[in-house]
Amino acid sequence: MASKMKESDPILEVENLFASTDNLPILKGVSLTVYPGEIHAIMGRNGCGKSTLSKIIAGHPSYNITNGDIKFSGANINSLEPEERAQSGIFLGFQYPIEIPGVSNLEFLRVSTNARRKFLNKEELDTFDFEELVKEKLELVKMDHAFLTRSVNQGFSGGEKKRNEILQMALLEPKIAILDETDSGLDIDALRIVASGIKKISNAQTGIILITHYQRLLDEIEPNYVHVMADGQIIKTGGSDLALELEKKGYEWTDNFVKET
Amino acid sequence: MEIIEKIKNNKLIDNQTEIQKICLHKLQSSPLPNPKSELWRLSNKSKFSDFLDYSINEKDPKFDIPYPKNSQSTIRLIIGESYQIKIIEENYSIQQLSEDELDKHIKEQISYFDQNENWSDLLNLSLSCTKNILGLKINGSKIPPIEIFSHASSNSLNAKTLVIFLEKNCDIDLLQVNLGEENSSLSQSTFFCLEENSSVNHGVVSYGENRSNLLNSLNVIQQKNSEYNLGSLHFKFNFARFEIRIKQSAGNAKTNIKSMQITKKDEQISTYTKIDFNGPNGFLDQLNKSLADDKSHAIFEGSIIVPKIAQKTDASQLSRNLLLSNLAQIDTKPQLEIIADDVKCKHGATISQLNEEELFYMRTRGITLPEASKLQLSSYFQEIISFIPVSKDRWDLLDKLLNEK
Repeated sequence: MASKMKESDPILEVENLFASTDNLPILKGVSLTVYPGEIHAIMGRNGCGKSTLSKIIAGHPSYNITNGDIKFSGANINSLEPEERAQSGIFLGFQYPIEIPGVSNLEFLRVSTNARRKFLNKEELDTFDFEELVKEKLELVKMDHAFLTRSVNQGFSGGEKKRNEILQMALLEPKIAILDETDSGLDIDALRIVASGIKKISNAQTGIILITHYQRLLDEIEPNYVHVMADGQIIKTGGSDLALELEKKGYEWTDNFVKET
Repeated sequence: MEIIEKIKNNKLIDNQTEIQKICLHKLQSSPLPNPKSELWRLSNKSKFSDFLDYSINEKDPKFDIPYPKNSQSTIRLIIGESYQIKIIEENYSIQQLSEDELDKHIKEQISYFDQNENWSDLLNLSLSCTKNILGLKINGSKIPPIEIFSHASSNSLNAKTLVIFLEKNCDIDLLQVNLGEENSSLSQSTFFCLEENSSVNHGVVSYGENRSNLLNSLNVIQQKNSEYNLGSLHFKFNFARFEIRIKQSAGNAKTNIKSMQITKKDEQISTYTKIDFNGPNGFLDQLNKSLADDKSHAIFEGSIIVPKIAQKTDASQLSRNLLLSNLAQIDTKPQLEIIADDVKCKHGATISQLNEEELFYMRTRGITLPEASKLQLSSYFQEIISFIPVSKDRWDLLDKLLNEK
């Protein structure tokens, strides 16, 4: 399966990436390549750099790339603004989706969707056409229409926030989606809804990076590759078996690995 | 003393009314506000001089009202234009106050004036000629929305005064718009009397042009069971002060205030409020927002006075502020003076910047930084704007604010 995917060009290439914030090095040489149709899982202890990697790919202004490159569809995006990356098809699903009081969820979704559509040279949607589109996508994550009239994520439960993230992913139709601990704070039913949403949205042209601590999300969405991160580096890459191994062994061995190297 | 000389040298001095004479006399003993007093210490002296710099003008050229009148059901008035107002309908009446009624009311107000606290009103009343004082007596219900405009023309200092009596059981929406042309100063004083069981949604929108100045004073007296709702917005003035004094004369009244001031460039806009509970069971819910950008300065000082007679008062005063630049300045001071022992009063202030994480979140959805800032600001403005009684289809205040250079 993997070799078939690699007949096309990679969507995302992270090459020997070093990054810091406030002069504190966080990433210390990460390399990762994602081809269309691939699902990658990144696992590791808290603080190992998983979320930082996702934010840097999305263009968070608080982090500096000190060495290495991020290439998206073959082009270097190191200096692109977050909105330029998003418009071109990079989606970051937040671990803690941000609440924006006073900004209606519907308007937020419409403005975001139109920004992406504009990039794709598609016609921008007016309120009525957008309502039609969003109604269809709401089904994917089993969300009630009432969520649209509320402020973005305000007063949403943990599960509702995560479903709202997947709704955004469905509307934006990204080329690559990086989902940062989308499974955290979800009960079994909500996890299944979210996982089923992700599966329905992803296709042979989409790449997905799942950042997670646990096997339970990977039971629902089987990854092609599992990467283990420690101390700002990917220290091991394997197939889905690696996640099962981690589940058994825990992360202690990653500490020893870092100490030894 | 310059201002006194200026008023005295006004070419229409011979036609001075008795009220003008009384106020001028009072001003002579206190020609300028005390710069060390709490109410004036933060006011920029040079900008205040700018306000007083223009020559007094009692004649207004015609001016363009900022948005079209597209509804026959709105009553629109311009202070300074000659009117004979007498509207008597089945459910309501709106009539001009007689000279005697105006005289009596204003003189009574003046008798309570403190030289420093009411300096802006004293200046206003010493400058306002009869033509520039509009007095209305409103009665009844199902009254069409009323819009009242004041404006200052370029290179002059104009004074306009509005007196409104809201009779028992009366209920209205009233929007006041204060406009300053380029290089102008407007002195606007408003006196509002709400009789028992009356209710008003009062909007005050003030905006200027390049280097315009404003002294805006609002005095409200509320009788029992009255409800006064104020939504106000001040922006684009070189120097502006909005002074609000509200007295619940016998308690048992409701006051809701949502006000906002926006400063840019080197502007200074301040809001001073004094809410006086003079009886039991009074209610106040007040929110003031300031937004300061560039090198500007926004000021809010609010006081709530709860004497012993005002038991069971329930009052809240909150000041929420947004600093958009490292060089901008915001001063805020909400304060309570409570003597009564059975009350529920709270106050608070916050100063923050646009939330970086919210901005990043929006940007990761393809929304550009300027658009994301606009969305954040629109949610910040919306809370106040939605409280101002103006219909959006006629005048989109939010759009005006967001697109203001």
